[in-house]
Amino acid sequence: MSIGAVERFRTMGCDVAVAGGDPAIVAAVLARWEETFSLFRPGSELSRVNRSPARVLVVSPLFVRGLEVALDMAAETSGLVDPTLCGRWREVVLSGSLLSRPPSLALDLNGVVKALAVDAAAAALDGPGFVSVGGDLAARGPVDVGLPAGGAIRVVTGGLATSGTASRGAHLVDPATRRPSESCWEQVTASGASCLDADIAAKTGFLLGERGPAWLDSRGIPGRFVGLDGEIVENDAWQNATRPAVACT
Amino acid sequence: MADTSRIERARQRARAAKVGIGALTALVFGVAFVGAKSHAPGHTKGKATPLGAPSSFERAVRHSVAQGGQIAPAVQPPPVATSTS
Repeated sequence: MSIGAVERFRTMGCDVAVAGGDPAIVAAVLARWEETFSLFRPGSELSRVNRSPARVLVVSPLFVRGLEVALDMAAETSGLVDPTLCGRWREVVLSGSLLSRPPSLALDLNGVVKALAVDAAAAALDGPGFVSVGGDLAARGPVDVGLPAGGAIRVVTGGLATSGTASRGAHLVDPATRRPSESCWEQVTASGASCLDADIAAKTGFLLGERGPAWLDSRGIPGRFVGLDGEIVENDAWQNATRPAVACT
Repeated sequence: MADTSRIERARQRARAAKVGIGALTALVFGVAFVGAKSHAPGHTKGKATPLGAPSSFERAVRHSVAQGGQIAPAVQPPPVATSTS
């Protein structure tokens, strides 16, 4: 099954690679997410929400979707992936299209929005192919992917994401200390049923430090960890999935 | 004699009709009464439960939130790479 030619362009401040679909459609999907959730655009819905002095606001369906996932992920990871970045995610309440939160509590949905946008863009593909945005990938059909610190893997289906400090420094906040994370890993790559699943798994594996490989294994999630010294650790799920099959003789 | 018999039969039919209508009315009233008793908001049938999703459902959803994808050894040079961004 061929995935066709790979088209490349830049959006959301990231390099984008698309195969199996119209790049213009993918760009439009990504642009819609950026217009809603960008923290760098004063006119984005997220920026307007963060500036609003009101306690209760009406937000768009796309905003609801992003925030719902962010709050679910905060609960799933016991606050490791936190849309408030300060451990106050339980104060954020969604009821239909109504958002309630303390007016001074700013939201940052970067933790989930890029992966959600990648999944949405992959859903817009015509057939087998993939969408990769800044190294986060969702595949509809097999695609080989290069890995941090060398090597490659075939994503048969689902998503693949890498989280860490390699390109942006310590941008992940550890909710236990509320300070930038000081993980023992430089980069963590995880496979997921979707790009969102992979991204959350990679972030959580990174933030959990030495407990990361076991946490992913307990959920059957393949993870590959690159240590600060360059050592590569693959958890059991990753090893089992990538070990070449031995032919019977 | 024949007229008396016809009148008597007519009275019997009228009585049967009255009994039938009465029984039907009682039956409809009974069904409506039981239905109202069962479904009226003022008559709770059991302990009230929260409107939110059951905790077992929430647990199941959370456990399925992050799931592993399917990967395998690479078989050709990769056209794309994963990295932090």
